[in-house]
Amino acid sequence: MKRQKEDSQNHLNTEVINTKFLYLMHIHDSAFPIGTYTHSFGMETFIQEDAIKTKEDLFHFLQVYLHENVSYTDGIFVKESYQKEELAELIRLEKICDASKNAEETREASSMIGKQFVKAVLPVSDTPSLEKWNELLQEKKVIAHFPIVYSLYAKDLAFDLYTTVLTFLYSSTVGLVHNAVRAIPLGQKAGIEVIHRLIPEMEKATINVLERDLSDLSNHAVGLELASMQHKYLRSRLFIS
Amino acid sequence: MDGKIDLHFALRNHKTIMKDVYYQPPLKASRGLYVDNPDDITVYLMESSGGLVAGDKNAYRVRLDKGTNVTLHPQAATKVYPAFNGKPSKQEVDIELAEQACLTWKREEVIPFAESEFHSHTTVNMKKGSSFYWEEILYPGREKRGERFTFVKCHTQLEVWMEEECLVYDGLRFEPSVQDVKHFGVMGDYHYIASVWIIDREIELDVEKWSHSSTDHQVSITKLRDAGYLVRFLSNDLPRVKKEMDQLGNKKLAVSV
Repeated sequence: MKRQKEDSQNHLNTEVINTKFLYLMHIHDSAFPIGTYTHSFGMETFIQEDAIKTKEDLFHFLQVYLHENVSYTDGIFVKESYQKEELAELIRLEKICDASKNAEETREASSMIGKQFVKAVLPVSDTPSLEKWNELLQEKKVIAHFPIVYSLYAKDLAFDLYTTVLTFLYSSTVGLVHNAVRAIPLGQKAGIEVIHRLIPEMEKATINVLERDLSDLSNHAVGLELASMQHKYLRSRLFIS
Repeated sequence: MDGKIDLHFALRNHKTIMKDVYYQPPLKASRGLYVDNPDDITVYLMESSGGLVAGDKNAYRVRLDKGTNVTLHPQAATKVYPAFNGKPSKQEVDIELAEQACLTWKREEVIPFAESEFHSHTTVNMKKGSSFYWEEILYPGREKRGERFTFVKCHTQLEVWMEEECLVYDGLRFEPSVQDVKHFGVMGDYHYIASVWIIDREIELDVEKWSHSSTDHQVSITKLRDAGYLVRFLSNDLPRVKKEMDQLGNKKLAVSV
């Protein structure tokens, strides 16, 4: 115990991991240009229907989004991609990822963000898996769905599986909070409070995702799926999806 | 009990015939009927036991040769009884469609009773130029007895592959005791989920017609990537769901080429 304490106080021991963590922080900066601020994944339909009006509504919606949607869909894809070693298996996994996204706009959003992500990080990072994926993307053999490319990147940077899934869930939900604050609208303080309350939920969701596999994939958040399908028919829209 | 149906359809003198049929109780297949025209054979799928009891498994295997045209009609909804022994009831459907074959699976309805557990897995392997229509309705339980999402688990999985390409991969995994089923992002106040999968590259639907919502019924449509459409309903109005499904099933009314 004493030894452990001394170790953690010695900045030389924690320097590598802390510095490396800054790369993850950087890609989760809301100003990082991967376009998450232009997508609501169906949430805008609920905002226009007045189903999400208050801070409480938003918290509850994102809790459901996290536990009933992302941790049964993209969270599992992040985990499964991380654990795949063979390229052919990864390509098959991405095909399943693409087919499992029924709502067209959500499917397109996932690949738009994924492509932007590859474009943004590739020139500045040393990530051989992502480079290979980009070659396949240029040959139109893959689509570059965000959960897949995010997982490849985090694994190349040697982040562990737990951190990879947790930070992916963070990015998926926090992006929506920023967008909801603009669209409802809510004050910045309300947004901060919602994010803080969601952080323990992200931890729970990550633990659930780590226990799941492809056979647990589920689109049972049907209300959200229909909201995403209906989004393209809204009269005025702030977001692409 | 383990029910089984194996069906093999082939062409004879340009007419679809049921070449081989094998069934094992409680499942049974009707004779092939030519309802509309000699090109399209209809077979009713019957279940004589009244429902799946814990641990029961029904398995369907359907093979369509090149150019055949088949409609399969489950005669009644699948009722799933309580899994008091902890064993789930299962259904497996395996479908193979050769080039230019066309299979329509009419209204697969599942009613999971309180305390029941149901797992179904439907796999379709298609060849280029074939088409596949699948309709399903999931009930929340026996609503007349006040059952609403009181089953233990209900997992359905549909996957459709055309050679190496995955066209559909849709799992619906309900486990109401640990899920927030009543939130509007999941089921809201709706009781029924219904889906119509139209896996056919040749047709185009009037998308505006299939996107509307009211307090007790909503329907939305989405285009699948290079594959066709999914029309999905959340509703409390079962007769209306069935009526609209019939409209979609009637290609002349719903489809504009």
